[in-house]
Amino acid sequence: MIRFLARRFVSTLFVLFSISVLAFLIFFATPGVDPAARIAGRNADQATLLAVRHDFGLDKPLPVRYGLMMKKLFVTRDLTSYVNRGAKVIPQVTQAAPVTLSLVFGAAIIWVLASIGMGMLAGVFRGKPIDTVVMVVGLIGISMPVFWLGEVVNLFTQSRLHGSVFSWVPPLGYVPFSHSPFGWFKSLIFPWLTLSILYIGIYARVLRSAIVEAQEEDYVRTARAKGLTERRVLFRHALRTSLIGFVSLFGLDFGALVGGGALLTEVVFNLHGVGKLTYDSLQNLDLPVILATVIYAAFFVVVANAVVDLVYAWLDPRVRRV
Amino acid sequence: MKDRKALVAVLLVAAAAVFAAGSSSARTNDHRGGTLKLLAKAAGGTLDPQVNYTLEYWQLYQASYDGLLAFKKAGGNAAFDVVPDLASGYKIKNGGKTWVFNLRKGIKFSNGQRLTTKDVVASFQRIFKVKSPTSGSFYAGIIGASKCLKTPATCTLAGGVIGNAKNNTVTINLTAPDPEFKYKLAVPHASIVPASSPPNDAGTKPLPTTGAYYFASYDPNKALVMKRNPYFKEWSHAAMPAGYPDQITQSYGLTVESQITAIENGQADWTLEAPPADRLNELGTKYAEQTHVETLTAFWYAPMNVNIPPFNSLKARQAVNYAIDRNALVKIFGGPKLAVPSCQVLPPGFPGNKPYCPYTKNPGTKWSAPDVAKAKKLVQESGQKGAKVVVISPDDEVQKAVGVYLASVLNQIGFKASSKTISGNIAFTYAQNTKNKVQINVQQWYQDYPAASDFLNVLFGCDSFHPGSDSSINMAGFCNKPIDKQMHRALKLEQTNFPAANALWAKIDHQVTDQAPMATLFTPRHIDFVSKRVGNFVFSKQFYWLVDQSWVQ
Repeated sequence: MIRFLARRFVSTLFVLFSISVLAFLIFFATPGVDPAARIAGRNADQATLLAVRHDFGLDKPLPVRYGLMMKKLFVTRDLTSYVNRGAKVIPQVTQAAPVTLSLVFGAAIIWVLASIGMGMLAGVFRGKPIDTVVMVVGLIGISMPVFWLGEVVNLFTQSRLHGSVFSWVPPLGYVPFSHSPFGWFKSLIFPWLTLSILYIGIYARVLRSAIVEAQEEDYVRTARAKGLTERRVLFRHALRTSLIGFVSLFGLDFGALVGGGALLTEVVFNLHGVGKLTYDSLQNLDLPVILATVIYAAFFVVVANAVVDLVYAWLDPRVRRV
Repeated sequence: MKDRKALVAVLLVAAAAVFAAGSSSARTNDHRGGTLKLLAKAAGGTLDPQVNYTLEYWQLYQASYDGLLAFKKAGGNAAFDVVPDLASGYKIKNGGKTWVFNLRKGIKFSNGQRLTTKDVVASFQRIFKVKSPTSGSFYAGIIGASKCLKTPATCTLAGGVIGNAKNNTVTINLTAPDPEFKYKLAVPHASIVPASSPPNDAGTKPLPTTGAYYFASYDPNKALVMKRNPYFKEWSHAAMPAGYPDQITQSYGLTVESQITAIENGQADWTLEAPPADRLNELGTKYAEQTHVETLTAFWYAPMNVNIPPFNSLKARQAVNYAIDRNALVKIFGGPKLAVPSCQVLPPGFPGNKPYCPYTKNPGTKWSAPDVAKAKKLVQESGQKGAKVVVISPDDEVQKAVGVYLASVLNQIGFKASSKTISGNIAFTYAQNTKNKVQINVQQWYQDYPAASDFLNVLFGCDSFHPGSDSSINMAGFCNKPIDKQMHRALKLEQTNFPAANALWAKIDHQVTDQAPMATLFTPRHIDFVSKRVGNFVFSKQFYWLVDQSWVQ
């Protein structure tokens, strides 16, 4: 097990390093991306431009630039933005993380509960009208792009019906839990629902097919033959094994979302989370922030992967020997 | 009896007048207080007034930072007047080369520190130390500036800016007379900050102010907060008037659509962004009273690179000018209420502007309709028919649509054109670098200060063309020696005879238009959409809406 963990750790470091180098190289390979002129300002004098380029180390060779940036990011931890000069990158990420966590945790609870309910309903009543209805509803959820759905939700809650039904909805933005737990809830309820709708559809479908499959398995037949009630068969036997695929899928999605994958939801609902930070830095071509958020996101995806692998290793000893 | 009645009437009227006067001043005082909530899509970068070069913050600096001189805080064209600010007055001597300023007494920074001549001298040195974008242009004429540009860290401006603590005066010596220097002293880069300010870009750390407000906090990912400067006492209503709101905040992050909705709901008071085209109808009808439309001294144009095919041919460039239907572009921008077709460089009402439009069906002073037949003929004559052209435009909705439209026009008159959009954040520097071989692109220019040279000399002068550099604002690469010579003559003439200089600038404007290093598209207008509770909206042509002069209660 220790060897397994050590190997995972080394490969994690390697993945993070490769991703940071890749992001760095892609940035500087983009035409017209040289930040010196943007930093120096409109119509800057050539001497000023040179001085700025030197100040930011942009006149140094690429590997040195990369090394300097990584040193500032991890060792001295004072890497600052190219666009909002003086704004340190690390506090930006640490301040954004709670917003993203609030969003993703809440949405995850909703989508796990709803999709288990819907998946079971469809699985149990396979072929019946209720199965079709649940699956069509799920498909509609999957088909609606989150940025569109979010804007439509905003259209109703912030504009068209803001004067009547939705007058309780606060202005778009995040309210910290410590300020007001109820305000936090109110500010996040629509983002949670919007983000979870896509996943409810996907997870319900995955669970349905797993349950359908499980019901054909020998152990379910055996359980039924033992004379167990249908409910007990479903919950104790069919559902439990069906959840294995569900859980590993959840691990990956959750990791990606915490790492900034909820970007569109955050942008539409003005939640200043990691996704929004990534989006803004990409818009601004702000390399230091791009690097920080990319490494942060990669870290969560890799960690989630590792956790899923560990769960597998625990479930199935064969994995440990590979 | 009659007399008594009359007396009573007079007394009543007088009493009513006194009451009205009293209540109106009381009412003005009643308006003090509250929080004015501004919105913007994103922060404007560093908060350092000597470095930041965005309208977003220049607008806020009007209520917070002061220079020796200032643009008058007034509506309309009066805003172009320069008035003494931290200086109580100034004298120009030595044929325009020496400027002597008397510093006002008793002014304190927002940290309680007293303003002295030392702060003024240090602030001018700091322009170079922090590598202000305009250090090499606006302030390069100060004695000692060239040395400071080479070695900013040790900048002293010896002999250039001299403070006299005893007389409380500051003397600035220039290498040559500069009649536009008063404007340059009135823009935020010449703000006076404490001598103890760091010698590098202060970034997100606010520097103490002298004006009505100070910056209490700034987080570029969230918000900026301005509060009343407790040490501020109004010394000149024209230069730095006291403001109404107790607090002004600017929050970042909402999409433009959501910002408009938030203002409609009264959750916020104003947005920096131009409202999207699909909301204009709603604003013009349902919220007409909260919408303010103002003319701007700016122009939208498409610079054409005169050094590479096909636009190294004058006829090809003129053909583009003839072919563009400016009305179509006005429509793209939001309709005739928001833009006016134009053919020349200097915008209407600007010093040196004399209406001129050769590129229309009936050439004269105004554009009326495109002349596509003539354009096609010119392309044929230029020998560039069938040449490939890529129109570069930034990726926002309006500019993208303008780029696509230009490509369609180019195709119509015989070029093989396509349009390419690139990130709005790099489009500006990308188009400047000759290495990127941009043939034609969509641009706009907003004045820094009201002088013709800020358009003509900056955008089309030989000195603004730097091949291979990202900072080469003369995007057309236009360097016409005879015209350049005249520009230098006009700059010199400004020192002695401003009207004559402007007459010369008018001529230069027409000559540049004839040479067509660009196709002028239109003069934009500016929309401000404010919430219901915002009163006393004053629009300065120099720095736009005077934020703190509006009240929210």
